[in-house]
Amino acid sequence: MHEEWTDRLSDYLDDELTADERAAVAAHLKSCAHCAAVAADLEKVVTHAKAAAPRPPQHDLWPGIDARIGRVAQPRRVSFTLPQLAAAAALLVAVSGGMAWQFGTQSAIGRSADASRSGNAGVDGTVAPERDASSGRPAAAESVNVAPATRVAATTVSYADAQYDAAVSDLEKALKNGRNHLDASTVSIVEHNLQIIDQAIEQARQALEADPANSYLSGHLVEARRRKLDLLRRATALTETD
Amino acid sequence: MPVVSPRVDADVALAAQGDSVAFERLYRAHVPRIHSLTRRMIGSRDADEVTQDIFVRTWQKLRLFRGESAFSTWLHRLAVNVVIERRRTWAIERGRMTDDPAAALEVVPVAPARADLTVDFEYAMEQLPDGAREIFVLHDVEGYKHREISELLGIATGTSKRQLHRARMLMRRHLGGLHKG
Repeated sequence: MHEEWTDRLSDYLDDELTADERAAVAAHLKSCAHCAAVAADLEKVVTHAKAAAPRPPQHDLWPGIDARIGRVAQPRRVSFTLPQLAAAAALLVAVSGGMAWQFGTQSAIGRSADASRSGNAGVDGTVAPERDASSGRPAAAESVNVAPATRVAATTVSYADAQYDAAVSDLEKALKNGRNHLDASTVSIVEHNLQIIDQAIEQARQALEADPANSYLSGHLVEARRRKLDLLRRATALTETD
Repeated sequence: MPVVSPRVDADVALAAQGDSVAFERLYRAHVPRIHSLTRRMIGSRDADEVTQDIFVRTWQKLRLFRGESAFSTWLHRLAVNVVIERRRTWAIERGRMTDDPAAALEVVPVAPARADLTVDFEYAMEQLPDGAREIFVLHDVEGYKHREISELLGIATGTSKRQLHRARMLMRRHLGGLHKG
């Protein structure tokens, strides 16, 4: 008999009832000592729950955590499925190939740019994340040399976000300022390929958020960011040699 | 709730770069709340292990923390997700989820009176059946809304409300025993 009312008491206390329902329960509580007592008890339970203070563990758990994180690298890591990996890799290869062809057809300009790049040829293999041998953690930043042909970038750029973003920003500004020195089709191709690389970078970042512990594409993200920097650097070099 | 301070922000940034000393400071500042959440939702027996898992997961995901909310909020949500994920795994493995209210009433004993009401309240929470306990902790202790709980647990809000009421009635029964004693 009372259950019809007591079943609604939590909703009543939490203000989850409609105005009419609430009024009906309130009226009943005035006339039913049993239900009023239950309501008071439930309110007491809620008050105790809200006042429940945090309590530390009885044992120090840090040593166990410390031991485990010593084996778990801070995730400069990206997770992609194999199809995503294949697609992203193909995309970057296509972009690189397209740009190589495009630059190759700009013979006079291209020779100048290639000459300026020659001292940078061996750098590409140095961008994989380096890890501290003792801790297994990544080094603070991965670095790559930037071609001396670009006057806007420092000789060394870290792939840590702030430095990388600053270098990219400088190159983008230089490219924007010098785009009048390039023909329209070159500008179009450069912009199109930058867009593709940006999409690849964004996909890699999203994958990282979904599964940060997967290491398979961490190098791929770094590679995409390196290619963006390289493309900007090469395109900027073209504007300067004109 | 931990106080947000420049020191916490600095420790988050340092820990995200691999500084385990800074991460230990974060652990010390937040472990009472995280361990309490864990203990209340899954029980004392497994709370230590799951709390360690939560902080290891935090270490792994720290670079994803964007500062869009307080670190304590981000950590708490991560902890809730780890606990829920773990409970689902256990429920499947053990097949021990009990949704029969009649059976649940048999689960919670009316404990003898104790001098320390806080300890007794914690004990009573731990005796709640699984489904009711996690909703009671999330709603009444941690302050989540039914809508948020329904999203977290993948249940209807009506189910969340029913389980909460069931938990409160069981707690009332327990505390009633206390007062009579």
